[in-house]
Amino acid sequence: MKNYKYYLLSFLCIVVALPGCKKFLKEDLYSQLAPENFLTTQEGLESVLFASYATTANMLTNNSIYVIGPQEFTTDIMIQSGDNVEATIAQYINFTFHPTLDFLTTNWDPPYQSIRNANIVLENLNNVQVSDAQKNLYRAEARFLRAINYYKLYTFFGPVPIRTSTTQELQLARATDAEMRTYIETELLAVLPDLPEPGKEAAYGRAHTGAARGFLAKFYLNTKQWQKAADMCKAIMDMNRYRLFDNYFTMFRVENERNPEYIWVKPAKASVDRRNANSWINVSFPANFAREPKSGLTFLSTWVNFPNEFRILDSFYNSFEPGDARQELIISSYIDNTGKTISLLNNNDTRSFKYWPDPQAVGAGHGNDIPEIRYADILLARAEALNELNGPSQPALDLINEVRRRAKLGNKQLSDLPTREAFRDHILKERGWEFYSEGQRRMDMIRMDKFISSALARGKSNAKPIHVLFPIPEVALTANPKLVQNPGY
Amino acid sequence: MERRARKLHVSKPFLLSLILFALMFVNRPVQAAGVLFTPLQNIRVSGTVKDDAGVTLPGVNIRVKGQNTGGTTDANGNYTLNVPENATLVFSFLGYVTQEVAVNNRSTINVTLLSNVRNLGEVVVVGYGSVKKRDVTGSVTSLKREDFNQGAVTSADQLIAGKASGVQVVQNSAEPGGGISVNIRGSGSINAGNNPLYVVDGLPLDNSAAVTGSSANFLKSNAPRNPLNSINPADIQSIEILKDASATAIYGSRGANGVVLITTRSGRNGALRINYDSYGGVQNVAKKLQLLNATEYQSTINALIDAGGGTAAQRVNTINNGGTDWLAQLYRRNAPLQNHNLAFSGGSENTSYLISLNYFNQDGVLINSGYDRFSARINLEQRVAKKFRVGMNISTAYSKDRYVSNGFDLNERAGILYAAINYDPTLSIRNATTGRYTLSQDLNIDNPLAIANGKTSFSNLYRTLGTVFGEYTFIPGLTAKLNLGGDIASQRTDAYVDRTTIEGLAAGGIGSVLQGNNSNYLAEATVNYNKVVDKHAFNVVAGATAQRFIFDDVSAEARSFPSDATVTDNLGLGTLSSNRVTSSKLNNSLLSYLGRINYTFNDKYLLTTSFRIDGSSRFGSNNKYGYFPSVALGWKIDQENFMKNLTAISTFKLRASWGKTGNQEIGNYLSLATFSAGNSAVFNDTQVSTTTPSRIENPDLKWEASEQLNFGLDYGFLKDRITGSIEWYSKDTRDLLLNLPIPRETGFTTRITNIGSVRNTGFEFSVNSLNLTGKFKWTTNLNFSTLNNTVKNLGGISSIISGSAGTATNISIIQEGSPLYSFYGYRVLGVWQTGDDFTANPTARPGYLKFFDKNGDKVINADDRVLLGDSFPGLIYALTNNFTYKNVGLYVFIEGVKGVNMLNNNLVDTYFPANLKRNRLAEPLLNRWTAANPSQVYPAFINTGAQAAQAVNSYTVEDASYIRLNTVKLSYNIPVRGKKIKSAGIYVSGQNLATITDYSGFDPALNPNGGANFRVDWNAYPSARTFLLGVSIGL
Repeated sequence: MKNYKYYLLSFLCIVVALPGCKKFLKEDLYSQLAPENFLTTQEGLESVLFASYATTANMLTNNSIYVIGPQEFTTDIMIQSGDNVEATIAQYINFTFHPTLDFLTTNWDPPYQSIRNANIVLENLNNVQVSDAQKNLYRAEARFLRAINYYKLYTFFGPVPIRTSTTQELQLARATDAEMRTYIETELLAVLPDLPEPGKEAAYGRAHTGAARGFLAKFYLNTKQWQKAADMCKAIMDMNRYRLFDNYFTMFRVENERNPEYIWVKPAKASVDRRNANSWINVSFPANFAREPKSGLTFLSTWVNFPNEFRILDSFYNSFEPGDARQELIISSYIDNTGKTISLLNNNDTRSFKYWPDPQAVGAGHGNDIPEIRYADILLARAEALNELNGPSQPALDLINEVRRRAKLGNKQLSDLPTREAFRDHILKERGWEFYSEGQRRMDMIRMDKFISSALARGKSNAKPIHVLFPIPEVALTANPKLVQNPGY
Repeated sequence: MERRARKLHVSKPFLLSLILFALMFVNRPVQAAGVLFTPLQNIRVSGTVKDDAGVTLPGVNIRVKGQNTGGTTDANGNYTLNVPENATLVFSFLGYVTQEVAVNNRSTINVTLLSNVRNLGEVVVVGYGSVKKRDVTGSVTSLKREDFNQGAVTSADQLIAGKASGVQVVQNSAEPGGGISVNIRGSGSINAGNNPLYVVDGLPLDNSAAVTGSSANFLKSNAPRNPLNSINPADIQSIEILKDASATAIYGSRGANGVVLITTRSGRNGALRINYDSYGGVQNVAKKLQLLNATEYQSTINALIDAGGGTAAQRVNTINNGGTDWLAQLYRRNAPLQNHNLAFSGGSENTSYLISLNYFNQDGVLINSGYDRFSARINLEQRVAKKFRVGMNISTAYSKDRYVSNGFDLNERAGILYAAINYDPTLSIRNATTGRYTLSQDLNIDNPLAIANGKTSFSNLYRTLGTVFGEYTFIPGLTAKLNLGGDIASQRTDAYVDRTTIEGLAAGGIGSVLQGNNSNYLAEATVNYNKVVDKHAFNVVAGATAQRFIFDDVSAEARSFPSDATVTDNLGLGTLSSNRVTSSKLNNSLLSYLGRINYTFNDKYLLTTSFRIDGSSRFGSNNKYGYFPSVALGWKIDQENFMKNLTAISTFKLRASWGKTGNQEIGNYLSLATFSAGNSAVFNDTQVSTTTPSRIENPDLKWEASEQLNFGLDYGFLKDRITGSIEWYSKDTRDLLLNLPIPRETGFTTRITNIGSVRNTGFEFSVNSLNLTGKFKWTTNLNFSTLNNTVKNLGGISSIISGSAGTATNISIIQEGSPLYSFYGYRVLGVWQTGDDFTANPTARPGYLKFFDKNGDKVINADDRVLLGDSFPGLIYALTNNFTYKNVGLYVFIEGVKGVNMLNNNLVDTYFPANLKRNRLAEPLLNRWTAANPSQVYPAFINTGAQAAQAVNSYTVEDASYIRLNTVKLSYNIPVRGKKIKSAGIYVSGQNLATITDYSGFDPALNPNGGANFRVDWNAYPSARTFLLGVSIGL
């Protein structure tokens, strides 16, 4: 009878030993990568840097529309109707901004994801076995991306928390306006020596000195640092790299997107999953669009026509000077599925076909890169800066006329624009005609102090001076008690 | 070691005799003395041995106590023996209670042996063992085959719906084999699972689908088809639902949501029994939605345009061929279903087996959907040696699911229900000239029949699961058991979108193949010890278990095929550049030690205590092991002397328990910082893949802890003619896994953290009454339960607002003091009328909905939101009545729910359509506000976009309370004579016969959103009304 005790004991021993040791509970990673083995390789680190490029471009599915959208709905250029987003966009149009408004996080989260990934790259550079030259390049690219994302946040929301490492405490307060400006400027200036010249970058789409200078120029312009703006624009012109593309009508097409005028773009590529999609044309096609009579453009069955309609205001459409080639990309009539010709005039319904549809597009993603900075912008920016510094001058006017000639318009004379104000007002008009649908209008109007007055003139009685800054999204405020909302919200 | 073994082998019979000798001294000292010391005469004894059903038992072992003589019964159950006249005969047979019968000079002794393996009504299965029902200290609902739901049942979940108080079974999709969510005593979790742990014959299941991804351009339901479908419900002998911590703590980190123990049928000793059960029937959509028909649509849309709600270009001018009722085109009339079950059971003294074969086929009430299952099971038990028995319970099933594209999406991505509800009813099905499906010029939705017929998907699922065990008895009362289990599921889902659809035409056909393998393996060793000393009875269980879960999948997607004919059978024909391929692999492991002591004193006072240590690979490195204790007390007051006189009260047992359990359904790898695919970048006009961090690491991550207090009273009156129980419980779930919002400037929006707590409390009441027991029998079972769910603590977050479906966004709020996922929206006060004072809301117009302006700022916006109800039913109740007269039986089952809300998202689409030309529900439109007929209830439906931000409101969040006549079954037991056919029966039944509810959607009992605690009804697959005819034959 004692035997059973031995059996029992051995059984219990097996029981305890059976499960083995701690290794049984170790989590084996299969489909995901861990920092220890991943951030120590060049491929790994580069891959994280590329992710920062991707979120900087911010062209996932409909983001191409809703990053540009708020910069245009709030201006004299455009309105919207239709689809499930109408109520939301109406709040942009009518200046009833609220922190819970949709598309605010579309402009808050992706920049901060880019910044996070840039910080990860910067912190792990020393763990990777590459040459110092390569390290300097990665460092410069990461800082470039980080700086331009802070610039975009700054123009949208004002000063924001500046995160420069992943080990900082999670809750940071907003920087002051001065800190923000200093940071953006010093970072962009610091990367200039280490970035390649345009044309020498490892692949088209990676950072180069042209882009860094371009963002500096725009930054100086929008912060009204006229001398620095004028000088930086001159530096870009002196690179002798960029020139105006001769055909405005075809410049924005996919086949021409590698043109000598684009300095920095948000790249797009037609693909079914719309990961890098230009979706602008989907919301510009009028209902039942079949053909555009002037150009002969025919709707392909592979394209999509959203019931979401982005419509150009008549006041803007009618403001073009006669013969302005830039107006041709705004269509005023079309032929629908039943063969009827429909006029879009006099109904605030003309459509911006700036991003001409991509024959390769399948579904809602077209491949037209969206220019963020192009040479025409540099020319007009310098003209504006010179005007603010010295008043109207022939050199400034020449720059404007260079842009006008490309638009097949005649030259303006100094006698047409005798005062600083007149010159400035004309530049505002010129910039509208040149840069509609490119997401520039709101900043231009704010800079020239016309944003609120123009809204009031359009009947948006709710517009107030506080509206030059969008509210910080409510979800960001509740997650970080140290954030203080912009005044008035 | 060998010498010892040999020695053991030789001494076995002596050992046995010694043990029996010893037992004789313990139990019957006087008689033992008599057997040993008095020489006696031999007499001849004979008789028949039967079981409690009157069936003769061949092969029963009969031994003369104290001697090495005896015999067995023959094929007819008869025996004849020569034994001493005062001998005691010991009758024993595997699966039956051994009986000792004193000869006492009788020459004929007939014996009835009682089955003991699953002694129905007497024994309740609990975790790692079983307990007599009278001695249960925890809250356990035990359901046997006769308690299950009758009628057409696809899975184990449906067997228990409405049968246990405190258990809420919610159908997520009414499609054949559709998903089901079960909540036991409310929901404690926000981000971890809320479903209970399912254990089948001792094997804890990972009840998740093998294929988790989605097919390209094919919409799938929010809840996958129920994985439990692979287990044939007819194979199930009993289901025990463990509800309180005392019963579930032995499952440690998986017990927080309750445990459902499924025990499959075991073989029956004796001659071969064959049972054939079959039913067949038809199903039709139980309730149809009333949309505007073609004429109503035309007049309504044109009237809205006349009133300024649209342009002349949108006028409806023609109705083609009388129009089309799109929903009706999707319904399949009299969709058939059938089930065939064939079971063989039998055995001998040392063996018992059950072989069961099943075929189930169900066509859905919507076209092109259905479910088929072929399953086979073998349950076998064999006594290999005196002390050693082995057994196995293995089943395998092949399931074929046929899907229609339907779910939570809209417009060009919509499924069939959304398309049919929104589509223009004035159109014909096909274009007369082209023959293609008609497309609406105004709506960016594909033709509903194009989606239904042009998008096809099916899946083949193979699942084998089972356990193999060996149990060794050291000494009587001390056994050791080794249990090995496995559950292996392999599934392949194909989907094809052909050129008759818009997306298929544009892409040239889209095909996808998803393959997933989900398996888990279990190794478990336990020791069980029973001991009775005087008035003390002990039962001790101790053991260790290890389980490993492995998942891997791969998917491939191709487009642009030369022809639709090859569908998904040759993806290589697609265009290379559009191919998409993914794969993934996960695993996790559990390592646990468990122990339990059951102590009974004087058969009156009960104490149970259990402890489990669980280590899980999912927990962060700082918290790898969790500890889960529980203790329960019971007092059988009916056994007390002062109660013995109250004969009316036959059972009166008080129970109290407390315990801690955990929820480890927190997902894999969440404590680690890892990198996964980011959005692609574009360099040199080529898309380049990137990687991005998935999360901030959290080494403190651990299980959600649940602490539960339970008080119960089990009562029985009039010799247990009326029995039942009353319970109250309070369950606190702490360390909730919350995606704690962290500053979004970190690049992350949340970090998974254990913080926050939720409390569920409620009452459960059940009564089972044998009202009439004479010729006319009538039994009633009534149960109801209340539930109160409150969020206690959100760890500093003020609120979590989440949930979106189509136009409705920010649907629910989680905040302290309210139930989880409370609906959060606007209160409708009525409709603005002409002549009203509009200064209170300057943007409103006559005919607009009038909303409650909470802060009085004359603007209706997000600051005016209020709580609009929640998805937790205040009261769930069910009433079953069974009537039997002679051979006729009538079964009536009524169930209902009170105090629950659901967002009717199809109603939201009616109030706030994306486009004027969308079709909608008829009633609000036909009774809408017009200047001539100013309604106080319905708005004018002009310029609906202006109020679309108020989509979640007190109109669209409806009361989903209902009472339903769930099943009525009339059965007839055909009286059979003769030896061949032992039993036969026939029945008719109807399911989902009538529902009383204020809810305006298809079915208030469905939750298409998935889960049970956040109810959003959108494009629900409609429920069916089923009529069945069934037969059963026993041979």
